[in-house]
Amino acid sequence: MLKEILRGVELFDGLTEDDLEQVASLCQEREIEPGELLVKEGDRGDELFIITSGFVEVLLETPRRVVVNLGRGQITGEMALVDGGPRSATLRAISEPTIVQVIHRSDFDNLCDNNTRLGYIVFRNLAADLSFKLRHRNLSER
Amino acid sequence: MAVYKISYVVIGSDHPGGIVNSSVRPQIGDQVKIGEQLFETIEVFELMPPRKDFHYIHVTCQPYNPK
Repeated sequence: MLKEILRGVELFDGLTEDDLEQVASLCQEREIEPGELLVKEGDRGDELFIITSGFVEVLLETPRRVVVNLGRGQITGEMALVDGGPRSATLRAISEPTIVQVIHRSDFDNLCDNNTRLGYIVFRNLAADLSFKLRHRNLSER
Repeated sequence: MAVYKISYVVIGSDHPGGIVNSSVRPQIGDQVKIGEQLFETIEVFELMPPRKDFHYIHVTCQPYNPK
């Protein structure tokens, strides 16, 4: 079941069945209530989130504004995972139920280090996802 | 299994829009819920070429006002 959900997430596009099973074994499901924070801007971050149900809003604190809502199949928290910096935004659930799959940074790094083909595919997809988010941002500001 | 990765941009409101995957290609006139709010699709175009099963779609929408 989780493998089927992961198959619909662009980050894992191109992975084999075995790869998806490995990724699924790293995931921990978390349900968050509307209004509950997933992460807070400025905090240290060591988790990647895959939204499988509901919506998460991405909120910048200064000036306080919501920049985008992310729904099913989207990943978030990836910036801190890639660059090791603090969380760039606050993430808050806005609908019920909001369910995410959580992957810890160390598990993610180990998986990519131990399977460099998988690591290449996932990081290429991660770049494509960031590119898509930039395009969305550009279109939002037309 | 086609997956439509959709960028929703809202006009006529300060709503920030959203990004969400769907198994169905959006169409003009569709109603879509982003978070807890309902919108109406008024523009659809391909943002970039599809890659394998993934299609990248831009949608412009506006707050839904039933007539």
